[in-house]
Amino acid sequence: MKDYLFVRVPLRREMMTTVRLTTGGVCSAAGMSYDGGEDCKVCVTESLLLLMRRGFSAAEVRFFAAEDGGLKVRVEGTEGAADLPASDEDEIALALLNALAADVAMDKAGDAVTAIAFAFGQQA
Amino acid sequence: MNEEELFRAYRETHDVALRNQIVEKYLYIAAVLAKKFVGRGVDYDDLYQVASLALIKGVDRFDERKGLKFSTFITPTITGEIKNYFRDRSRLVHLPRKVSELRVGIKRASEEFLAEQGRKPTAKELAQKLGVSEEEVIRSSDAGGVVSLDTPVDRDEGGMSLHDVLPADSDVFERFEDRDALEAALRSLTQQERALVKYRFGQELSQMETAKKLGVSQMNVSRMERRILQKLRETMKKAMVE
Repeated sequence: MKDYLFVRVPLRREMMTTVRLTTGGVCSAAGMSYDGGEDCKVCVTESLLLLMRRGFSAAEVRFFAAEDGGLKVRVEGTEGAADLPASDEDEIALALLNALAADVAMDKAGDAVTAIAFAFGQQA
Repeated sequence: MNEEELFRAYRETHDVALRNQIVEKYLYIAAVLAKKFVGRGVDYDDLYQVASLALIKGVDRFDERKGLKFSTFITPTITGEIKNYFRDRSRLVHLPRKVSELRVGIKRASEEFLAEQGRKPTAKELAQKLGVSEEEVIRSSDAGGVVSLDTPVDRDEGGMSLHDVLPADSDVFERFEDRDALEAALRSLTQQERALVKYRFGQELSQMETAKKLGVSQMNVSRMERRILQKLRETMKKAMVE
């Protein structure tokens, strides 16, 4: 799998625009459609917000070119700790990720989510 | 009543008052999801309406006996409806117009801000002034604008321009010939016509701005521009034949 781009981001709301624009650029470079790129932006933002709500203060976003021509993304909390309880918002965020992306997977420490991975196929 | 009891009661009675109670309880999900899709060329109110209708339909289809939480069930349903709405109706018509309107708004707001504050606004300040998100401002300023070939691509003084880094055409000599022919053709223009070319195509001023510089009307600039282009075309064609 080719590593497209790697971003380390402090988990603050004002950073979300930068991450969304970066994601849009990567999706465009990966040949995804406008809608696919917009969906990917939502997924990346949701993942970061989810980690932020759980108590992380920084995260890494990695974009990979998938072997089938699509895009794989992994968002991982790096600083702080996943020590806050899950909320209704988290429930919606996870359902939204599953609705928009494929192969949604999570790493957990106990009950707490520490990383989220998802993919967009070539047709996205 | 908790979620399970509420849905069980509604499934057994089909009481409209109960359905309304459920819809009101979960309407926030429609609002949350509608917000996630703002900025794709459809107003929030329209998205909220689509999401709310999907929620109402979803209440009738939800079966609490399957052990799923309602939010987990309804989120993909609402998301699907919103995406169908995008696909069916909105983007082809609204997005280009919306983006081009925003671009005009950004230009105007920038000029106003500069006049008021004596400096250029940031994307955030423009977003506040226009009532849109910062991301929309940045994206629309990237969309389809005219960029000068002299635009620097790095911050170093004397660094490379966009022209320097663009891939060269395979036939470089042909481009040299074109430039020679163009320079010769420009010499055939009057002083005022050359000034117009400089303002319109060198400095990329609008017809209105060019008109002010030349002290003529915008209509005059438009007519002169057509005449000049025709003249240049003919002169260059003649030079190539010779």
